[in-house]
Amino acid sequence: MYYTPSFRLIFYTLSVYKVPMSEKRTMTLNLTDAEMRVLEELSNKKDLSKTAVLRQALRLYQLVEARIEKGEKFFFEDDKTKEKAEVMML
Amino acid sequence: MSGPAKKVWLANMERKAPEAAELWDAITELQLEHWELQWRPELFKALERLKQAGIPRKAWPQSRHWDWRAKAQAFEGMLALPGYSVMCAGVTQGLMILDVASQRCRIESQRGKDLVYVKFVENAPWNRAELLYDPPRYRGVGSILIRAAIERSLREGFKGRVGLHALPQSDDFYGKTCGMTDMGNDPDPEFQGMRYFEMTFEQSEVFIAKGKRP
Repeated sequence: MYYTPSFRLIFYTLSVYKVPMSEKRTMTLNLTDAEMRVLEELSNKKDLSKTAVLRQALRLYQLVEARIEKGEKFFFEDDKTKEKAEVMML
Repeated sequence: MSGPAKKVWLANMERKAPEAAELWDAITELQLEHWELQWRPELFKALERLKQAGIPRKAWPQSRHWDWRAKAQAFEGMLALPGYSVMCAGVTQGLMILDVASQRCRIESQRGKDLVYVKFVENAPWNRAELLYDPPRYRGVGSILIRAAIERSLREGFKGRVGLHALPQSDDFYGKTCGMTDMGNDPDPEFQGMRYFEMTFEQSEVFIAKGKRP
């Protein structure tokens, strides 16, 4: 039987909803098995709740998008060789 | 601001008495006005005093070039980069910007785990002994802001883990007063030889317990 895992997420609301930032809103997120597995792996590895992992993902996504919009490039640098690899953002 | 201001206490060094203050989880236009109209003129006067006292330029605070308006504008609306401020007597006494997403722990026991990184933190010029204010007006601003970073770390599920690069004049504060682990000079040229300090869960508990002592 096909099963789509889901769980309750609580996010800080956006100001466009005209409620204080500290108020939280609840949404249901449907994930595939593979997505849920990755989320669980990250949650275990990082010792964070699934909600915390998704919050971090959202913050990083916004950060990366904002810098790319400003015309910057996104690189990973090898700590030892100092070789840089650009992450292509489409 | 995302919630009500939190009541905190500073030590008024002129009156030698505690004074009620507020911790805001925001940097608003009000704080930026204080920085422009009160901090900057006071900082210029202080630098003049350092010059008169013959203190070499390399010993002047590196934060003298910081532009808080530019920083606040650059980070406005970014979920990863929240701002904090300390208000007392209607004036901004301290400012801080955190990075809650992009940095990872370096201490071996917690390597790779998420932490709250203190990106920028600054005390008002009149609170700084190194700017030859004798006595500085308020003490405790730095501790309140580090405490706020720890609380943010706990709220995010990062278990009190906090990291930062210290300006040289603040090494003792983070190492001795805050009890953070000194990881030495960061070889990354971006940090110009600044020392990196990191706080574990256990160290954050000791720091918080110290603040509760009468």
